[in-house]
Amino acid sequence: MNPKQLIFASNIQTHLCLQRHLLVTFFKTGAPLCSRDVSRGFLVYPPSLRLFAEGHAEAETRLPSGATTRHFHPSNMLSRLVLVSASSLKGSGALGAGLIQASRSLHTSSQSLAPVPPLPEKGGKVRHGIIPEELFQLLYPKTGVTGPYMLGAGLLMYILSKEIYVINHETFAAASIGAVFIYGVKKFGPSVAAFADKLNEDKVAKAQEVKDLAMTSLAQAIEDEKKEQWRAEGRSMLFDAKRNNVAMLLETNYRERLHMVTNEVKRRLDYQIALQNLHRQMEQEHMVNWVEKSVISSITPQQEKESIAKCITDLKALAKATQAKATA
Amino acid sequence: MFNNLKTRSDAISAKLASLSEKPPAIDWNYYRSAVAKAGMVDEFEQKFSALKVPEPIDTQTTLINTQEAEASTTAAAYIEASKARIAQYEKVLDKFKNMIPFDQMTIEDLNETFPETKLDKVKHPYWPHKPIAEL
Repeated sequence: MNPKQLIFASNIQTHLCLQRHLLVTFFKTGAPLCSRDVSRGFLVYPPSLRLFAEGHAEAETRLPSGATTRHFHPSNMLSRLVLVSASSLKGSGALGAGLIQASRSLHTSSQSLAPVPPLPEKGGKVRHGIIPEELFQLLYPKTGVTGPYMLGAGLLMYILSKEIYVINHETFAAASIGAVFIYGVKKFGPSVAAFADKLNEDKVAKAQEVKDLAMTSLAQAIEDEKKEQWRAEGRSMLFDAKRNNVAMLLETNYRERLHMVTNEVKRRLDYQIALQNLHRQMEQEHMVNWVEKSVISSITPQQEKESIAKCITDLKALAKATQAKATA
Repeated sequence: MFNNLKTRSDAISAKLASLSEKPPAIDWNYYRSAVAKAGMVDEFEQKFSALKVPEPIDTQTTLINTQEAEASTTAAAYIEASKARIAQYEKVLDKFKNMIPFDQMTIEDLNETFPETKLDKVKHPYWPHKPIAEL
């Protein structure tokens, strides 16, 4: 019985480790899992499904699947567990370290696909949070809908009745912890997942914004450069304008000179004419003054008295005439 | 800067337009009858028609031509540099256009596309692998 007892003991260990392992994986995303126990180096069983029929080997197949990342199987065990743990608390912080592991499995399993197909959004489907859907699909043709449940119930009964799993104090502890845990996850899971999603989305949105801004500014810069090139081509117009200016200045200067010459000549001639006129005017005036002066000086006092007397008589006559007119 | 050139050119052309092509002709006969001094008008007329106004010489056009040649070379160099810059911009733009969308990237892809996001684990071996001030 010794080997069996040994297996027994190791089974207890594995069960406990499995619980702890699951707890740990629910809170981490695909990072090194259950380090203490994993480092002991379990044997890796290719978890082909026929091992499900064998009871005690089941746990051992479940455990290493999450622990190592080296040995890959076309089965979905590895990616499934990891993705389950990843999907229950999606994308906290890094862009899904669990997704990296999934992509690695994709890379090494199938033939090389290029371009690499996008990473799956969600993990493999599971029923009741742990059991992969593929099991149910596998058993459906032979046993129908209730097959896997019967299997599970039978296994449970076998384990309990044969005392492969002994119910002890820790059973109740595990049950209570499990109950609380499941209640917590069901109640708060979605909101926490939404929060984590929002964190991730904010990061992605920010990065997208940066990218969009960069693209628009680059496009703008390219446009500006092209515009500058076009502008530089127009420099010949500037120089043509300059040469035009020079020609215009020369022409202006020439015309100014012509005008100046004409004006000067005209001015001189006009000056001569003005001079002549002035002369004549002065002579005229002088003559008039001289004639006046001589006339005045020629009036003798006798002539003056006579003319004054004549003026007085004329005035008297005029006054009389006007008076008569006024009275009449 | 171009406005200054424009204002100056406009001033020059306005000045040119204000001056007539030829100065008004001098009416010699009127002067001959008006001016009393004999022979003066005739003398003036002779000298006037014999006079040839020299055209002003052009000193600036050669300068302008050399300036133009210089400007051509600098402009060509500038256009070359500008083309190089455009090529650079286009390269970066293509990288942005052809990169995978962010929600399909892994951290490794991110580090490839944007090398500045790569965390230097040698220089800062402990998390968060960058100086705290840069968080």
